[in-house]
Amino acid sequence: MSALTKDRWRNRKAGDSLAGYLFMAPTILIAGVFLILPIAYAIALAFQKVQLLGDVSYQFTGLKNFVRIAQDDRVWIALKNTASYVAIVVPIQTMLALTLALILNSQIKGRSWFRVAFFLPTVTSSAVLTLIFMWIYNSNGLLNGVLSFLHLPTYNWLGDPNVALKGIMIMNIWSTAPLFMVIYLAALQDIPETLYEAATLDGASRWEKFLHITIPFLKPVTFFVIVMGIIGTFQLFDQSYIFSAGSGGPNDSTLTIVLLIYQYAFKNLDMGYALALTLMLAAILMTSTIIQRTLFKEERLD
Amino acid sequence: MKIGLKKSGLGSLILAAIALVGCLKQVTRSPSQNAFKQEESPVTITLSGWQSNPNEKQLLKQVIQAFEAKNPDINVKYEVVNSEYMDVIKTRLIGDVAPDVFYLDALEAPLLMQYNVLEPLDSYITPAFNLADFESSMLNAFKHNGKLYGLPKDFSTLALIYNKKTFAAVGITQPPQTWDQLIAVSKKLTIDQNNDQKTDQYGFGLAPELARQVFVLKAFGGQLMGQNAYATFADTKSLKGLQLVIDQYRRDRTSAQPTDVGATSGSEMLGQGKVAMTIEGTWAIPYFKETFPELDFATAEVPTINGKSGTMAFTVAYVMNRKTKHKKAAWKLIAYLTGAEGMNAWAKQGLALPTRRSVLARLGYNQSPLYAPFAKGAKYATIWQAGKNLPTVRMNFNNQFISALLGEQTLPQAMKKAQDTANREIYLGN
Repeated sequence: MSALTKDRWRNRKAGDSLAGYLFMAPTILIAGVFLILPIAYAIALAFQKVQLLGDVSYQFTGLKNFVRIAQDDRVWIALKNTASYVAIVVPIQTMLALTLALILNSQIKGRSWFRVAFFLPTVTSSAVLTLIFMWIYNSNGLLNGVLSFLHLPTYNWLGDPNVALKGIMIMNIWSTAPLFMVIYLAALQDIPETLYEAATLDGASRWEKFLHITIPFLKPVTFFVIVMGIIGTFQLFDQSYIFSAGSGGPNDSTLTIVLLIYQYAFKNLDMGYALALTLMLAAILMTSTIIQRTLFKEERLD
Repeated sequence: MKIGLKKSGLGSLILAAIALVGCLKQVTRSPSQNAFKQEESPVTITLSGWQSNPNEKQLLKQVIQAFEAKNPDINVKYEVVNSEYMDVIKTRLIGDVAPDVFYLDALEAPLLMQYNVLEPLDSYITPAFNLADFESSMLNAFKHNGKLYGLPKDFSTLALIYNKKTFAAVGITQPPQTWDQLIAVSKKLTIDQNNDQKTDQYGFGLAPELARQVFVLKAFGGQLMGQNAYATFADTKSLKGLQLVIDQYRRDRTSAQPTDVGATSGSEMLGQGKVAMTIEGTWAIPYFKETFPELDFATAEVPTINGKSGTMAFTVAYVMNRKTKHKKAAWKLIAYLTGAEGMNAWAKQGLALPTRRSVLARLGYNQSPLYAPFAKGAKYATIWQAGKNLPTVRMNFNNQFISALLGEQTLPQAMKKAQDTANREIYLGN
């Protein structure tokens, strides 16, 4: 008797799980074909020498592609550029986003107008933005005009390796900060007003309220903003591509990891090596996210 | 039991997936069965190229219409790929969706010829086509292992282009004949009109790119690439030539690169009056006429370096995709476009010179004062091509040459670094 029920249970469970899988089938299929399969394929190809043009051939080369990464100067230049880009852009854009959100969250006149104005750079296509900025950065362009009017030194923003990447940094901070601002703004409006009222009764100053109520409340959002910021900046491609017409110049100063991957994959048609570089980038991004997770570990109440 | 069923669930999924893929395959297979039929009714062949301006597209469309009128059984679908042309073509070749006929720059030809994706044209060429009429150096750019893979549609060399008014203003009557003269007149032509310590007009507009500098590094006997397909441009002979360019920029300060003056090319610098001379290709002539109609300019052969005439030549060919289904039709199109009639119609615009000597003479390019210096250059020009590793070499050269130009390191250091990096990449990429 009991054995029979058990069996029935099992059958029922099995039927349930089958139905479950059937319901998930479209997702599994799509995710499998467009996500998991390409990833698996990429990992497999990273260990091969691939020739795609003409007669397609694959040749297993073991770790050769990865050894080559270690010897490739341009990889280190690209890593250095990308790292300095991340180190400068992420903190500034996060702080700027928070500041803008705080300003918009306060009761100033014309708030909604400011919101739209601040958000405009984010909705503009980054390719268009880059072209506009290249015009601004032109040796005789707007920025140098303003700088020389203020008697500040002017730069050859597009041609001087020392400032070319900084030009892209400025542009990127200006265009991505508003996106994170909106996220912060949403989070700010979630903080219960009663907390601030209670703190005011306790005699807390504005700064103390910001430091002890706002910041801790925004912690999960800040984690999200920083993770997304780091991933986004590590994947910098279009701006430096347009800036340097695909070369990463002048003198490798705007060469980023993704641009390098693109060059190897589509200019040199060296898919195996390009995929090995992609795996390296994925490893870097995963490690940095794990590090951040431990840093931002949520306090457990139990 | 549970696990077993789970597995079978997954198994059925996989089966479903396979069945689906099977269906897809069948669907894709059906058109190829019809391919046989298509050959009889009008065939459509695709032609891809880039355009440097809208007029070029219009002109080519007219030439194609003339071809279609003569061959009613062939429709030509003309597609313009404007940015990253070669990346697009290579990717399409890999995906088997490449056009039947397409433009191919001599620079990229060695790679495609080596990988067997182009159809050799030798068997199609008839005596009436008169292959001997072509400028032989341009044909050679598209030969590999004795087979001809492309027919050059046109070419351009570089020549000195100068602003006549600026020459007259400082009393120079003749364009420089030698590089020493060029450096001397550059000094006279470099002018700071309002004495604000900022040069308003430089003598010479410079293009710090390998594509424009190979003849300079060859002037004293240097070589870009050695016999074994490795770069050799850092030897002392090459450096001697390149040093002239660096010295003029750094020591004399009488030359400028485009980004220094907020321009994107040598022609634009000249047109805007930022420089008095520059070295550019034939494409600059229609450009000036359209964009800077007031510019009073003239052309001359590139000044000799070390007593040697030298310039660069750039050529583009029509090639046929090896996998095209309509080889006969594709050949007819190529033969028309590169035949005397088609080439004549195409080369009228003056963006580049025709590769057929008869057409060049008929259109009078060797007599016209503006075009003759370019046409003469064809005899001694270095063709912009150097094996399949040239893109790697070019990238490393350009990077380090700019660094030397800006004074971050000396020329020998920079070139050594560029050569070593390029050769390491070539070695590891093989």
